[in-house]
Amino acid sequence: MKTRILFSVRTFFSLFILFLAGCGGGDEGAGMQSKEDSGSEKKGMIGVSVLTLGNPFFSVIAENITSEAAKHGYEVIVVDGDRDVQKQANQIDDFLTKGVSAIILNPCDRISIGAAVKKANAAGVPVFTCDLKCVAEGAEVVSHVGSDNLQGGKLAGDAMVDALGETGGKVLVIHFPQANSCQLRVQGFKEVINAHNRGREVGKIEVVAELDGGGVRDEGYKVAEDTMQAHPDLAGIFAINDPSALGARAALEKAGKQDQVKIVAFDGQPEGKQAIKEGKIFADPVQFPDQIGKKTVELIISYFSGEDVPSEVLIPTALYTQADGLNDPELE
Amino acid sequence: MMKILKALFSSDYGMLGALLFLCVFFSSITYEQQQPVGEEGANQLSEEIIEKFPVAGTVLIVGKKGVDGNAFVEGIRKRLTREGWEIKGALTGGPPEFGRALRNVFETNSSLDLVACEQFFAQLPVVENLRKLNPASSEMRVMTPKSYGWPNFLKASNLLNVANQIAVIAILAIGMTLVIITAGIDLSVGSLIAFSAVLATWTIREWTGGVDASVFGMTVGCALAMLASGGLGLFSGAMVAYFNVPPFVASLGMMMVASGLAYMLSGGLSIYQLPASFDWLGRGDDLGGIPNAVTLMAVLYIAAHLLMSRTTIGRHVYAVGGNPEAARLSGVPVKRILLWVYASSGVLAGLGGIVMASQFRSGDPKYGLMYELYVIAAVVVGGTSLSGGRGKIFGTLIGAFIIAVIQNGMNLTGVQSYTQKVVLGMVLLAAVLLDMLKKRGWKLQE
Repeated sequence: MKTRILFSVRTFFSLFILFLAGCGGGDEGAGMQSKEDSGSEKKGMIGVSVLTLGNPFFSVIAENITSEAAKHGYEVIVVDGDRDVQKQANQIDDFLTKGVSAIILNPCDRISIGAAVKKANAAGVPVFTCDLKCVAEGAEVVSHVGSDNLQGGKLAGDAMVDALGETGGKVLVIHFPQANSCQLRVQGFKEVINAHNRGREVGKIEVVAELDGGGVRDEGYKVAEDTMQAHPDLAGIFAINDPSALGARAALEKAGKQDQVKIVAFDGQPEGKQAIKEGKIFADPVQFPDQIGKKTVELIISYFSGEDVPSEVLIPTALYTQADGLNDPELE
Repeated sequence: MMKILKALFSSDYGMLGALLFLCVFFSSITYEQQQPVGEEGANQLSEEIIEKFPVAGTVLIVGKKGVDGNAFVEGIRKRLTREGWEIKGALTGGPPEFGRALRNVFETNSSLDLVACEQFFAQLPVVENLRKLNPASSEMRVMTPKSYGWPNFLKASNLLNVANQIAVIAILAIGMTLVIITAGIDLSVGSLIAFSAVLATWTIREWTGGVDASVFGMTVGCALAMLASGGLGLFSGAMVAYFNVPPFVASLGMMMVASGLAYMLSGGLSIYQLPASFDWLGRGDDLGGIPNAVTLMAVLYIAAHLLMSRTTIGRHVYAVGGNPEAARLSGVPVKRILLWVYASSGVLAGLGGIVMASQFRSGDPKYGLMYELYVIAAVVVGGTSLSGGRGKIFGTLIGAFIIAVIQNGMNLTGVQSYTQKVVLGMVLLAAVLLDMLKKRGWKLQE
């Protein structure tokens, strides 16, 4: 009796796994069918591994890659690297097993991912990166598409000059120094501020602190709160992305200084745009993830057509202000 | 050897059926047309060309960059030269090189009878564009090796990938199995991966020569990292054994300590100033194409199996987990066994960290995030009871492979990663359910 129950439970478990696998495989079955239906239409597959699908910025890139590639007859597989470089390396292995025609990456680590990129090089599969770069030695990337962060930082500097006007004042920079893109943003920002201060006696803008906000809300909150203790007369904050800016905004509201301190952020995620519309953030240089995605596919197609492609394409950012927010049909 | 096989198929390893089943399932849904590559592709295509063209002509041979592409191009070039063909070009590269070569041929007004290439090139718009622009190219034929049907999942390279991808988790799972058999848990292993990877690479960078480090220098760095991880494991073990701190809390604390140490040591950045030969363990394949990490994993599993089934220590570990009081009364050194178990878990986590550092030729404090959960999942799916006293080493290996196969299979079939998490979570729940049922003696109601 006991063995029989044991047996049946085991069978049940196997069936359960089958069922799960079946659920998972379901969409794919449909996908494969449609592939056969369209016959010679499908020219190949492109494998995409993004940094994280948890951030809308990357899911917009992925969506635009998929739709743009479909126009040219390529099928796209999108997987989530989950900020885990080993996971992403495994995904590249799996792409190679599937025999994709090209790979698009947002590297989870600019150096460690090199090993996996080299594997793709050895298999002769071209690798493209977007938004984030791979700088590992010996790893060949055909082309990189990203935002022009230096130009974006300068726009942020202009916006800060605009926000503080002739009076100037003390400014906090909420940084994320690990990311190369953020270093460029801060560099551009400071170039403009320095140019503004040159030859000026009154109304100087002074960067009093440059603190690591981790690019996240709670850290942004903390560094803003701490800085206000040291500099109660703070006039402006430049945050390298929207989440850390919104964290800082929460700290300002708690201290009742939301009218005294102007915030300039970066990115232009929906949440950030909403905050700009409501006047919580002064302005954002916005990136265009949709254009980044489309441009990457365009490069792949010209590469496949036998053209030489540039090793780097930078998409300029644009300043988004409250006026833009009020006219934005996508916001509530 | 036979004994191990027999043990694998005995009722203790019920999950083996599930694993085999998954393999068959994923094989059947990843069945696709495959292109022969390298020399095999070259031979096959040359034969076909010779058969189709009774008279030799002019040919352009194109392959992808890399080992396989080179073998492909060389193979065809040699064979067709022998048959009297005029080779207009034999190149490996990407579409731009291919396009340039084609344009060169037609701009010099010479004719081309045949392009012999891998499937990838035949599908490119390059060929289509050329035909539109250049009427002379309408005579040109494009031939590729004939494809054959075979599941992506069952390709030798993919099976090795699966084993290689799970090696780190499987190595850690050995230590975790021991800990869970003593009715404990070790949450610190994920952070210990990062700690050990960072400590090993940091030692090599700072003390033993960085990029020019010798094999001895690297060994010192790795040994130090494993010892230090073992030391941290020993500390958690001491908290559990001598102060009765619940294992969950002791290892939770150690998880934060180890992660913090890794960040402190590395300054939050990855350490990559290492000799090129550092990737021998993680990327080499010295034993007949089997990755070294997989060989290491296999050796460790056999050793652990023998330890747990043949030695006194092994019996003691089971005894401590089954009933610590009874074990103590019958003379088992319960405290020492606990210390030993947590220390081994630490050492193995340290080893896992080194394998990972070697795979990526860099140490990074972000390594190993959430790995403890996958490791615990592997052990539990493998049939080890969370309440202690029961479990088999090879069961854990099967559990690890079930997780790896599900992940790999879902990646190959393009299942979204969110769905993957749901599936893995449900597999874990099912395994725990099975454990509970086992304890109740397989009765659904009692």
